Amino acid sequence: MTRPAYKSGLRLFTLALILTFLRPAPLLVTPGPPQTVVTQHPILGTHTRLTDEVEEWKIKRSLELVREMGAPWIVEFFPWAYYAAEDGSYAWGHPDMVVAHAAAQGLQVVARLGLTPEWARPPDTPLTYLDESAYDDFAAYAAAFADRYRGRVSAVIVGNEPNLSYEWGYRPTSPADYVALLKEVYTAVKAANPDMQVLAGALAPTLEPEGSPWGLNDLAYLQGMYDAGAAGYFDGLAVHAYGLTFPPEAEPGPDILNFRRVELVRQVMVDNSDADKDIYITETGWNDHPRWTLAVRPAQRIQYTLDALQYAETHWPFVKMVAIWAFRFPAPQKSYMDYYTLVTPEFVKKPIYEALQEYAQEK
Amino acid sequence: MLRKNRKTGRLKIADWRVSSLLFLLLLTGLAACNGRESAWPRIQQEGVLRVGLDPTYPPFEVDTGGELSGLDVDLAQAMGADLGLDVAFSYFGYDGLYDALATEQVDVLLSALVIDPARREDFAYSEPYFNAGQILIVRQGETAVTSMTDLANRTLAVELGAQSHVEALEWSRKLAGLTVQPYTTPEEALTAVLQGEADAALVDGINGRLFLRDNPGLTYTANPVTVEPYALVVRIEDSELLDHLNDSLARLQSSGELDAIIAKWLGE
Repeated sequence: MTRPAYKSGLRLFTLALILTFLRPAPLLVTPGPPQTVVTQHPILGTHTRLTDEVEEWKIKRSLELVREMGAPWIVEFFPWAYYAAEDGSYAWGHPDMVVAHAAAQGLQVVARLGLTPEWARPPDTPLTYLDESAYDDFAAYAAAFADRYRGRVSAVIVGNEPNLSYEWGYRPTSPADYVALLKEVYTAVKAANPDMQVLAGALAPTLEPEGSPWGLNDLAYLQGMYDAGAAGYFDGLAVHAYGLTFPPEAEPGPDILNFRRVELVRQVMVDNSDADKDIYITETGWNDHPRWTLAVRPAQRIQYTLDALQYAETHWPFVKMVAIWAFRFPAPQKSYMDYYTLVTPEFVKKPIYEALQEYAQEK
Repeated sequence: MLRKNRKTGRLKIADWRVSSLLFLLLLTGLAACNGRESAWPRIQQEGVLRVGLDPTYPPFEVDTGGELSGLDVDLAQAMGADLGLDVAFSYFGYDGLYDALATEQVDVLLSALVIDPARREDFAYSEPYFNAGQILIVRQGETAVTSMTDLANRTLAVELGAQSHVEALEWSRKLAGLTVQPYTTPEEALTAVLQGEADAALVDGINGRLFLRDNPGLTYTANPVTVEPYALVVRIEDSELLDHLNDSLARLQSSGELDAIIAKWLGE
């Protein structure tokens, strides 16, 4: 005897209904009451990686841990390609969540803006490709961002490491082209929110000579920016300052990449009568991967990091913030990158986190 | 092809068989579409296995004045001999190893590489040949400490900031009275055990065994605390090559040759 089809359907419906009620309710995560960062070293920051973090409780937990470490600053990436549609609309859900939680934890946010949506670049170009035909679109995104997060985001960085070919859409790097972008973005952001700081850069430390397919020496690139008239179009300069295998006090030199290369960058600013501007170190740190040739031992990493912070505080009044790359990744990278972090994907605090926390409370 | 029975609305079993067959054919077609042929026939024909490594990681692989040596080098040679193949080594930077394999510059990577599940879409790993995970080291003759759970109310030495330090801190949250004592280097942590300052040391399997090789007063407990398996890597389509490599590893294991190679470089 054949069972009527509607009975099977009814059973399935009933089962689905039961399962719906059995399923636990989604975790309610709220920013919570406003917190304050307690620190003796307000220069301390860290670059979080919340862009690809899906679960809200993990975003909140990450930012709680940043606050508890005693770092008042975060640098976070807000990719244009993720949020902007061609019709001019924006999907602000995820950045709203990140900014709200950062604000609740009392953190100042430096927002790195970049990555070009598919609709704003030619076919078969990478996400880092941005040419002048879309500068106005990117500027519109930056302005909308600056307007929306008024009072909750302190500064925006225009792009990332534009002196590397990889970050410039695999094209030859061009300080003049970057300055053309900077001018459009600066003008649009200031019109939308005059209080938003616009940072140029962040320059990647590199020794690549003129004509190299990989990039251009950061010092030469910065001079090229000034030659192209950049000075009036940024409030501060973002810089990446990795120590590699050198201790933080190691002497800088034009042919050496180390932490104190920042001083050479600063000299270019001074030479161009731009000494009033601050430098923001938006990425720094040492790596303790057991076999990466540019890594140090874990104990050295801790000591170098603490010494670098102290050195910056003592000798560099022009440095507003030193952000350690990277606070935590949402998932293991299974490469040397995991050995830059302060906290594991499972929220286990590494000893370097504890050391920084202790440092932040010491006078 | 998928027809429903007009009365019951169910798919006929015969139709399922046909569709399953089509699905399998589709999968086979997709697999063939990656455009690559198995490397094994060429390796057999040429009689050469091309091995990629980063020669900056002693004692597994290091180039000293143009002379390549190390545990992985010996293992590759042993596997080559077992398979009747010559071995040709090519050097790459650590971060370029997988790219070198993907672009067919080599047939296999043998360079102290840890199995990475995230890469399994493009690459395949052999059976592990060495575990570089954390090991617990105690004084010779120590019977009270045979595992981490025996460390309540005892002192554990670790290298400051290392993975073993993180692991030890996790254990300290579970074990009452466990004192984690960090030292600047793994050698200092192990010396602390030797001198009675600590009851045990938690260090990675490489540093630990190297220290033990030169300091007979210590030994390590039977079970490793964590697992970090080193394996050979081939391109995903080279399943035939992988089978031969795994068979060779198994033969070296059963003959005792693999253990002899490991003992030569890391001690017994």
